Amino acid sequence: MNPGRQAIVSLAACLIGLAVLSPCARLEGQVLKVNGSTTVNLPAAEAAEILRSEKGMQIQIDTLGGSSGGISMLGDGRVEVGMTSKPVSDGDRAHYPQVDFHPVSIGEDAVALIVSRDVWDGGVHSLTAEQMRGIYEGRITNWNEVGGPALRIAFFNKEPGRGTWEVFAHWLYGNSKEAPQVSFAEVGGNEETRNKVASTRGALSQLSSSWVDGNRVYALAIQSFDGELIEPLPENIVSGKYPMSRPLFVVTNGPARGPAAVFIEFLLSPRGQELVRKHGYLSLAQLQSS
Amino acid sequence: MRRWLDRAFLVGTGGCAVLALTVLLGILAAVVWRGAGAVSWEFLTDGMRQVGASGGIFYNVIGTGILLATALLVSAPLAVGLALTLGVYVRNSRRRNRLVMMLYLLNGVPSILIGLFGFVIFGVLLGWGKSWLAGGILLGFMILPTVAVALFERIQALPANTTEAAAGLGLSESQIIWSVILPQSLSGWLSGSLLGLARAAGETAPIMFTATIFAGATWPQGIRESPVLSLPYHIFVLAQDSFDPAASVRVWGAALILLFLVFSLSLLALPLRLRLHEESRHD
Amino acid sequence: MLNCNLLEPDEKIVRKLRSVEYPPVAHPGAKVSVVDDPVSINFPLPTRAGNWSWTRLVSLGFTALAGLFLLAMIGVFLWESLPVWRQFGFDYILGTKWFFRQHEFGILPMIYGTVMVSALAILLAVPLGVGAAVFTAEILPSRWRGLVKVAVELLAGVPSVVYGLLGILFLRDWIYRLLTPFDPLSGDTLLTAGILLAVMVLPTIITLSDDAIRGVPVLQRHAARGLGLTRFETVTGLIFPQAWRGIFASILLALGRAMGETVAVFLVIGRRDNVLPENWYSLRPLLEAGQTLTSKLGGSETFIARADPLHWAAIVGLGLVLMGLVVGITWGGAWLMGREEGPDAPVA
Repeated sequence: MNPGRQAIVSLAACLIGLAVLSPCARLEGQVLKVNGSTTVNLPAAEAAEILRSEKGMQIQIDTLGGSSGGISMLGDGRVEVGMTSKPVSDGDRAHYPQVDFHPVSIGEDAVALIVSRDVWDGGVHSLTAEQMRGIYEGRITNWNEVGGPALRIAFFNKEPGRGTWEVFAHWLYGNSKEAPQVSFAEVGGNEETRNKVASTRGALSQLSSSWVDGNRVYALAIQSFDGELIEPLPENIVSGKYPMSRPLFVVTNGPARGPAAVFIEFLLSPRGQELVRKHGYLSLAQLQSS
Repeated sequence: MRRWLDRAFLVGTGGCAVLALTVLLGILAAVVWRGAGAVSWEFLTDGMRQVGASGGIFYNVIGTGILLATALLVSAPLAVGLALTLGVYVRNSRRRNRLVMMLYLLNGVPSILIGLFGFVIFGVLLGWGKSWLAGGILLGFMILPTVAVALFERIQALPANTTEAAAGLGLSESQIIWSVILPQSLSGWLSGSLLGLARAAGETAPIMFTATIFAGATWPQGIRESPVLSLPYHIFVLAQDSFDPAASVRVWGAALILLFLVFSLSLLALPLRLRLHEESRHD
Repeated sequence: MLNCNLLEPDEKIVRKLRSVEYPPVAHPGAKVSVVDDPVSINFPLPTRAGNWSWTRLVSLGFTALAGLFLLAMIGVFLWESLPVWRQFGFDYILGTKWFFRQHEFGILPMIYGTVMVSALAILLAVPLGVGAAVFTAEILPSRWRGLVKVAVELLAGVPSVVYGLLGILFLRDWIYRLLTPFDPLSGDTLLTAGILLAVMVLPTIITLSDDAIRGVPVLQRHAARGLGLTRFETVTGLIFPQAWRGIFASILLALGRAMGETVAVFLVIGRRDNVLPENWYSLRPLLEAGQTLTSKLGGSETFIARADPLHWAAIVGLGLVLMGLVVGITWGGAWLMGREEGPDAPVA
């Protein structure tokens, strides 16, 4: 047989063999796979880096589909740890009856309503829940209807599946399933949100409060029924006065074992909690101190 | 009147050419201008740190390299088979046209659909999750038309006398293919592969569901659940989610490196192609 | 040696017949010009009927595998999207509302977005690209032409994610500022996506149109100029009638690419569901955020949908529809261009 022909035949055989054998070639080693919320990703990714360099662990982190992606991939068994910035719902548990969701809180974050500079300078520093509902349902389309400048409201909605959106919908409608059908321009990542709000006149969106810089985008206070203005500040989040706060979770199927347990332990340790604080979230200690 | 029309024609088409080139070179300039500051030796040799805010893109380059190498290995035998079928075995022009049509359709399939298909087949059906092999196979099929057609063109352009001489020596069909046709048309395969890989290197859509993750992968071990990092997906994620201003500088650095990789692959193919042109022009 | 010399004249004739002055290049889309080539050489190989060598068997097998890949893709999309067709039938395509939480799946607004964005891209890129191609092919001295051609072909390879990055950081702000008189809600509009796509497909149109124009034999040009025709008259009267098929093929290829482009569009289109114009001729949605088939497929819903069979079917259905559109264009173009030369003409 000619060597060239032999090569092509053996290459083909290799490819076929690879496809057949691959299920056996599975590596059951120490690779830990994590997926979910971009919000939780920030401290988690840094924790993973530290564990990688200090303990030689193999941790793969991704942020496909946000919090819902974390839960669904955990449910499908495609990751060992899901990251979510919303609690695991009954619906999730019903979808994956065979999965024993085990959420562990690693800190807390607040969702802020952010506006662009022109809105802030135009005098809008707070909104009530009723006003926000009006904007969301399309009844209020101009800032002058809520005491601001004559400027149409450019609302960017967080895309479905993001924990940010779930918290927002929960605040306004009690349950994200009750939220009305709306079609706004959608934003995904946090930087995308900040960037688009900062560069658009009359812009409004929901964003994790740790990303608010008070320079390009500004966080509105929420006006309660009795007229009190509640800003998304740590003390208000800790005391539970600020309505749009959310625990940040890492979720496992059953109690964490092996590498997943090491990973979660690290996140709960003082060094891990320092990372949580570094990215602008409230650590567990801060929450307990109140 | 005719002179004026001709002059307007000159100015009009010249204007189009200048405008088009300005826009395209402006894009290049923007990437170089924004990205050059981020590129350093450490940037190329260090893994990503702090969610892209520091460290480098070493494993992203490695991951993209692994995907491209796999795509090359997958596409090569398939392309040889296709080119031989088109250039040697199929004599009926109608049948050959049907095959070319198939390649044309395959070439036209949007890359996101290749990704979706791959997700269903490899990710779900075979249970690979995200795997470098899945990404490489998908990219291999994506560039298959480019490689096969380049090789087929070269086979078609071979002077008939060499094969006739070989036939005169009493070689069989297969012997002629392996000892005359394929060695002589190697440059067609190479230039087609380089161009195909240049295209594959920058693709995000086929690999984002099937092969690549944002952080944490290094060298692949095994096939199942064995993703790699990659340059295009890195840029895609950071374009939406770069917390730190330092990360947004680095994303331009990554874009610059990706551009460099793509341009190098196309430029490598250039001399091969020019030689091909010369040959077919002068004999 | 003697043999070769004897063979040479014949070969030269064949070469003449099939030679184009600037032979087709092997980049994606080159097949357009390849299959234009009407004369094919059959190698005088000593093939006997029933001579099934390994090489032949494997080659044909691999060819079948490539075809199978394409068929399997269509099959998988069809199968996985079956639930949504069962439940909604054609209302899936004609429906105007997409609210996945309420199980409403109508994709007309996304088809509209895809059609508008790619039509806009073609509308902008074709005059510019063909104009530039005429200039490089007919007017530019050949020394410069090579340089420009290399530059353009390099730029054809700029990855879409890089275009997306440029779009998100520069283009959407420029568009927003430029459109201030029309007061768009933001810089994410169908127009932004269309312009970005136009720039992306520009190199493809330039380089393939240039090939097509150079494919017209030089002698004819000399003759035309000798008859006293101006360059304008040469191009419109002599070049275009012969090169239009190649140019048209380049446009179709660009259209297919524009329709299937994902990440760049995803980053600048705004991803707003359920946008349709009030009248079919209204262009207002161009200044608003919208959604295309690909931006939906590339978005977060693709990951969420796995948990819900009907939602997943609706998402995969988008893929099937997109596949149908692209295959339709490819086939339609091939039919249109093959028609002129009778039934046996090569497809392109």
